[in-house]
Amino acid sequence: MTDMLRAPAEVKYAEELDYLESIDDGPKPFSWRLSPKMVRLFVLGSERADGLDREIPQKWFGDRSFVERSIVTLASDRGLLLIGDPGTGKSWLAELLSAAICRNSTLVVQGTAGTTEDHIKYSWNVSMVIAKGQSRASMIPSPIMTAMEAGVIGRFEELTRSTSDVQDALISILSEKYVSIPELDDDNIVFAKPGFSIIATANSRDRGVNDLSSALKRRFNFVKIPVVTNKRSEEEIVRFRTTELLRRHEIELELPPTLLDVLLQSFADLRTAAASATSDDEKLESALSTAEQIGVLEDAILHSQFFGDRTLRPETLGSSLVGSLARRTPEDLAILNKYWHGVVEPRTKKDGDGTWQGFLEGGRDAIKTLS
Amino acid sequence: MTGRGREAEIEGARGGADTFAALREQLLGAAEAFGGDAVSGILAGMVDDVDRALGERLEIFPVCHHSPASALAMARRLREKRPSVIYLELCEDLRPLLDELRNCRLPVALQAFANETAGFPKEWAPLSVVAPITEASAEYQAIAYALDTPGVEIVLVDRSADHVFQWQPDEREQAGPDDEEALHGDAVGVEIGDLRPRFAELEEHLLHHGKVRHWSEWWDQYVEQPLAGADHATYRQVMVLIGSLFRRLAPERGDRDRRDEERERYMWTRMREHLAATGTDPSACLYVCGAAHAAGRVEQFGLDAAGTAYEISPRTETRWQYGLIPSSHSAIEAQFGLARGSVSIAAATFAKQVKRGGVTPFRLKDQPGKGRPLKAGAPDAPGADRLTGFLSTAPEPGGLDEAELLGWCVDIVRLARRNGYLSSTADAIAVFETSVLLAGMRGRSRPTPYDFQDAAVTCIEKDTVPGRRDVRHLCEILLGGDRIGSVGYASLPPLARDVFDRLAPLGLDLEKRTIQRALLDLDASPDLVPCSHLLWTLKRLMPERAVRPIMGSRRLGERSRQESWDLALGQYQRELVELGYEGVTVEQVLERRLRRAVHAPRATAAVALAAVEDALLFLRGRRVADELGARAVELLAAERTVDDAPEVLRRIRRLLTHFRATEPELPAWCGAFVTEGYARYCTLLPTAFTDDDIGVRQVAAMLGFLFGMESLALSLGCDHAQLELAVRQSHPEAPAKAALLWAARSQLGLMSRDELRARCDELIAGPLTVGSFPLYLSGFVQALEPVPTLAPFVVEVLSKAFARLPDQVLLPWLPGLITTLRDHARELVPTLVREAARTFPATLDALDAWTPPWEAPARPAAPSAAAPPGPVTELLAAHPAATDALAGLLGQPLEWRAPSFGDDRAVADLLARYPDTAKALSALTP
Repeated sequence: MTDMLRAPAEVKYAEELDYLESIDDGPKPFSWRLSPKMVRLFVLGSERADGLDREIPQKWFGDRSFVERSIVTLASDRGLLLIGDPGTGKSWLAELLSAAICRNSTLVVQGTAGTTEDHIKYSWNVSMVIAKGQSRASMIPSPIMTAMEAGVIGRFEELTRSTSDVQDALISILSEKYVSIPELDDDNIVFAKPGFSIIATANSRDRGVNDLSSALKRRFNFVKIPVVTNKRSEEEIVRFRTTELLRRHEIELELPPTLLDVLLQSFADLRTAAASATSDDEKLESALSTAEQIGVLEDAILHSQFFGDRTLRPETLGSSLVGSLARRTPEDLAILNKYWHGVVEPRTKKDGDGTWQGFLEGGRDAIKTLS
Repeated sequence: MTGRGREAEIEGARGGADTFAALREQLLGAAEAFGGDAVSGILAGMVDDVDRALGERLEIFPVCHHSPASALAMARRLREKRPSVIYLELCEDLRPLLDELRNCRLPVALQAFANETAGFPKEWAPLSVVAPITEASAEYQAIAYALDTPGVEIVLVDRSADHVFQWQPDEREQAGPDDEEALHGDAVGVEIGDLRPRFAELEEHLLHHGKVRHWSEWWDQYVEQPLAGADHATYRQVMVLIGSLFRRLAPERGDRDRRDEERERYMWTRMREHLAATGTDPSACLYVCGAAHAAGRVEQFGLDAAGTAYEISPRTETRWQYGLIPSSHSAIEAQFGLARGSVSIAAATFAKQVKRGGVTPFRLKDQPGKGRPLKAGAPDAPGADRLTGFLSTAPEPGGLDEAELLGWCVDIVRLARRNGYLSSTADAIAVFETSVLLAGMRGRSRPTPYDFQDAAVTCIEKDTVPGRRDVRHLCEILLGGDRIGSVGYASLPPLARDVFDRLAPLGLDLEKRTIQRALLDLDASPDLVPCSHLLWTLKRLMPERAVRPIMGSRRLGERSRQESWDLALGQYQRELVELGYEGVTVEQVLERRLRRAVHAPRATAAVALAAVEDALLFLRGRRVADELGARAVELLAAERTVDDAPEVLRRIRRLLTHFRATEPELPAWCGAFVTEGYARYCTLLPTAFTDDDIGVRQVAAMLGFLFGMESLALSLGCDHAQLELAVRQSHPEAPAKAALLWAARSQLGLMSRDELRARCDELIAGPLTVGSFPLYLSGFVQALEPVPTLAPFVVEVLSKAFARLPDQVLLPWLPGLITTLRDHARELVPTLVREAARTFPATLDALDAWTPPWEAPARPAAPSAAAPPGPVTELLAAHPAATDALAGLLGQPLEWRAPSFGDDRAVADLLARYPDTAKALSALTP
C-alpha cells in the first residue's frame, strides 16, 4: 500500500506490469515496455488459455475491439481520441494504456476553458529568465513536451473543453512531431522520440462547445466508448470499482447483491425513460453512466460508514440516488418523483425481502427534503 | 473398371478400419489427460463418424451454407468425379423450380407457398418456405453442373415443404424490420448445410476464445481459410469432423436433433428408393448434404444399413404453389441470424478465389443442355488420414494479400469521400497500417476483411456521420455490398408476366428496383385507360408503396382525367410473385379475395358492401357485384349486432346513389337489402335504445337507415307502422339516447318542436338535471344524421347551452363535443356550420342588435282568411273528420266556417260556366 490517496495505474499495478514485461517476448513497437498483445492482456485480464502463471485481473470492462483499436492506433502515426458520454471509462482506459505502454500515466494536460497554448507547449520561469535570460534551463516544459522528449504517451483530458486555438497547437505536435522554441537561438527545437503519442479524451455531451477543427480531427483516430448497457458487465464494473474504493477508504462493509441489483435496475429504468423522453426537461441532467452508479454507491457506503450503523441499507441507497441525480429543481425532482411513484412503488408489492420497500422510503424522504 | 472393382481398390487404399487408428489413439490419449469418459466418448465418436461417412458406398459430400470453401471444393470435385446423379439436401417438391434458375439473377429464393391450409391451424396461413440460393454456394455448383450436363440427374431428397410445417410447427421466424431484409417476408427459411453450434454457450465459448465477434468471423478464420485450398480428402474429413463435433456437443435429444434425425431417415430412404428404381451405380452418385447430416447416426444411414425401413408420412391436403422470389444477401443474413455483411464477404471471397485460378466454377447457361456430355470421371483418390496433419499443423496464412488490401484502402477512402467524409490519402495509409497491426494483435498473419473493416472505422470514422451511411456500412458496400437478385421474366408466374405485358404501353422498365414515375393523360391517350385500371387494381392488392398514386383517385362516380403514379414493382417482385400463386390475372385474384372475404366466418354486411364497392370499382362488371350484394343481404339478415350500422349506412347510401345515377334501375339485391335492413333495424330499435353496449352512434345510424331509406322501403312493401311502433316501444334511459329518441319522435310527428324546446329549457333550468344536459346535447348532435331537419334546433340548443350552462358543466364536456365533431366531421359539421351561418348575424355590428330567433316575441297570429269557396272546400266541409284529426295531431284548433264566396264572384262565375271539372272531382269522392 502506497501513501498516495490514489496511486496512478503504473504504481498500483507495478507488480503485474513487471511480471508481464518479464514474460513478454512479442515484438514491441518503438520504445514500448510491453507488446500490444500484452497491453491488451493487462487491460482486459488474462484467461486460462493464455497460459500465464498468475492471473491478471480485468481492469477495464467493455468491448474487446475498442481496446484493440486503441492500442493499434497508438502504435501507428496518429493520436488516439476516446470519445463518449461522461462516466464511460475513457480516462481510466487512457490511464491503463499509458501505464502499460510506457509506465507513465501522469503526463496529463487537463483541458478547461482556461487552458492556454503554454500548457500544451512550454512556459517560462519568469524569475530565472530575469536572472539568467531565456535558456532551456529557465523553460518549463508542458507534460506533452515532456512526453515528447521521453518518447512516452502524453494525455490530454477533456480536449473539447479547451478553446479551438489551443486545441490547434496539437496539430503541429501530431504532424511534425516537434516543437520549436523561437525564443532560443540554439537548441531551439524539441523533437519527439519514438514512442511518443497522445491519448485525448472528449465528452460527447460537449459536442458543439469547442468543436475540433478538421485538421485536428484528421490527426486523431476516434474510438467511441458507449455507455455500458449490458447488465452483467455493468455489475462487474460497479463491483470492481466499489471494492477498490472500499479498500482505499479502509472500510470493511458488505455489499449485499440484492442492493446492487436494485441500483442497476433503477439506473436501467431511468435510462429507458431518458431514451424515450422527447425534450430535455423530461430527462435527467445526469448521463446515467456507470461512473454515476459508482458515485451513488460510494456516497451510500460513506454515509453508512460514518453516519449509519456500518451496514449498507436500501434506505441509504435510495436517498443517495436521489441526492446524486437531482441536480435541477424542479425538473429532475419531478422526474425522480414520477419514477418513485410509478415504478418503485409497484415494485415493492412484488418484492419479497423488503429491499425495494426500504429503497422506496429512503428515496421518498430525500425527495421530500429536497423539494 | 466396374464399380465393384473400384470400390474394392478404394477400400484397400483406405486400409479398412485402420485409417484413423493413429488419430484415434492420439485423441483418446488427450481425453485421458483431460479426464472424463464423456470427453473420450466424444473425441473417439467424432473419429468414428468421419470413418463411417468416408466408408459409405455412396459418396457423401459435406457442405456448409454460404461457404466459398464448400463451393470451390464442390466445383473441383464435380469436375474430377463427374457424377451422373446428384442427391441434394433440399425440399424435394422444389425440384421443378431449379430449371427456372437460369432466367434469374442470383440471389433468388425457391419458394413453396400455400394460401389456404388443410391439416394445419388456420391462423398459420399463408404458409411459406424459402430456400435462398447464392452463386457462392456448393448447392448452386451442383445444380449448375447437373442442369447443364446432359445425362446428369439431380434429385432433391429432403422432406417436402409440407413436412417442414408438419415437423416444426413453432419455428416461424419473423423477418427483420428493414425493407431489404424483409425480402423473404415471414417465410420459414430452409438452407443446405446449416452448420452452427447447437447451443448458445458453445458458440459463446468459441467466439470468446477465438477472439472474434460473431460466428461468421469464427467460421471464416478457423475453417474457411484453412480449407480454402485443401484437397478433396482433407476437405471431406474436416467438414465431417466439424459436423460431428456440433452434433455430439448438443443438448441431449433436443427438438432440433430429433428433426435432423427425421430428415436423415427421410433422405436416406428417398435415395435408396431412387437407386432401386433406376438401378444407378451408387459410385456414380454424389450426396450433397450439410456436414452435420454427414455425421448422422440414424439406423437408416448408409445404403447398406440394416435399420428398419422408414415410412414417410403422407403430406397434408394443403395445396402448395411454387415459384421463385428475389432474395438478397441482407435478407439471407437476417433470416438465418448471420452477421451483417457475412454473405457479401463470402461472395467476395469466392470471387477472389475463382479469379486466383485453379478451379472453374459452374454457371447456369441461358439455354439448357449445352454443356459437354457426361464422361466418366477419374477414380476416387485413396482416402488416407488427412485429419491428423490438418489438426496438428498451423494453417497456411490466409486473408488478404497486400495488393488487395491496398486496393481496398484506396477504395474505402474514395467511397468515404463520396459520402461526405473528409478522408484523404493519409487515411488510406493509416487504414492499411492499422489493418496490419490489428491482424497482428489478433494472431493473424494477414488481415481479414473483418480487420480491414475495424481499421477503416478506427481511422476514418470521426465524431459524426456526415451522410446517410457510416464507415461500417461503406465497408460492406465495398466488400460486395448487398446484392439483390431478381427473377427473370420467363420464370415469373403468368400473373406477373401479364401485369408487365399490360403495363408495357407505359414505356417504363418496371423490372428495375428504382421507383418509376408513370404519367397518364387519359384524355389525350385513351389507350392508357386499361393501364390505369390495372394500376388501381394493383394498388388494391399490393403493399402501399409498390404502386402509389400521386395524382388521381378512384371512387364511385369519379373518373380521373390525368393520373401520375410511383411504381416500384421491381422492389416488390416477391409480392407480385406471391400474387401469382392466387390466380392467373389480377382481376381473378381480386375476385377470389373478395369472394373469400364475404364468405369468411367473421364477414359482416359492411364487409360485403365494401366488397361490392371494390367489385364495381375494379372489376367493373355487375355480375360479381350482384353476387356479393346478395351475400350482403344474407349477412345482414344473419347479423346479431348493430355495431356496423354506421358503416352499413354510409356504404349503402353511396351504392344507392351510384346505382341511381348510372343504372336504369336498382339491382334486385339493393331492394332486398333495404327491405331487410328496414325490417331488421325496426325490430332491433327498442333493444338498441336500452342496451348499454350499443353506442349512440350506432342507434343514430340505425335511425338514419330507417328514415333515409324509408321511401324506398315503403315502395318495396314495408310498413311505416312498423317504424312508428318501434319508436313508441323505445324507452331509453341514457340521456344521449333519450335525446335521439325525441329527435326521432319529432321526425315522425309524434312530438312537436315546441314540446321539444320546452323539454330542453326545463332540463337547463332544473338544478338537478343541468349536469346531464351535455349528454342530451351529444344525442342531439348525433341526431343530425337521421334527422337533418333538426339542424336549426340543434344550433339553438347548442347556443343555449353555451349561454346558460355553468362553466363547471360546460367545460368538461367541450373536449367530448370536439372529438365527436372531429370524428364525424364529414357528416355532421357541414350541416351545423351551414345552419349556424344562417342563424347568426354575419357581422360584429349586427350582433349587438341581434336577438336569437327562438327568443323573438311570438308574432300575433294573423287572422286566418276563410278558405275560398269551391269544390275542395265543399269536399273538406262535407267530410271534416280527416282535417280535424290532422289539426288535432298538429295541436292547432280548427274553426269551421260556412263557405262564402265573398268578393270572388269571378271565380264563382267561372265555375258556374264550366262546371265539368268540379263535378268530376266530386264524382271521385265517395
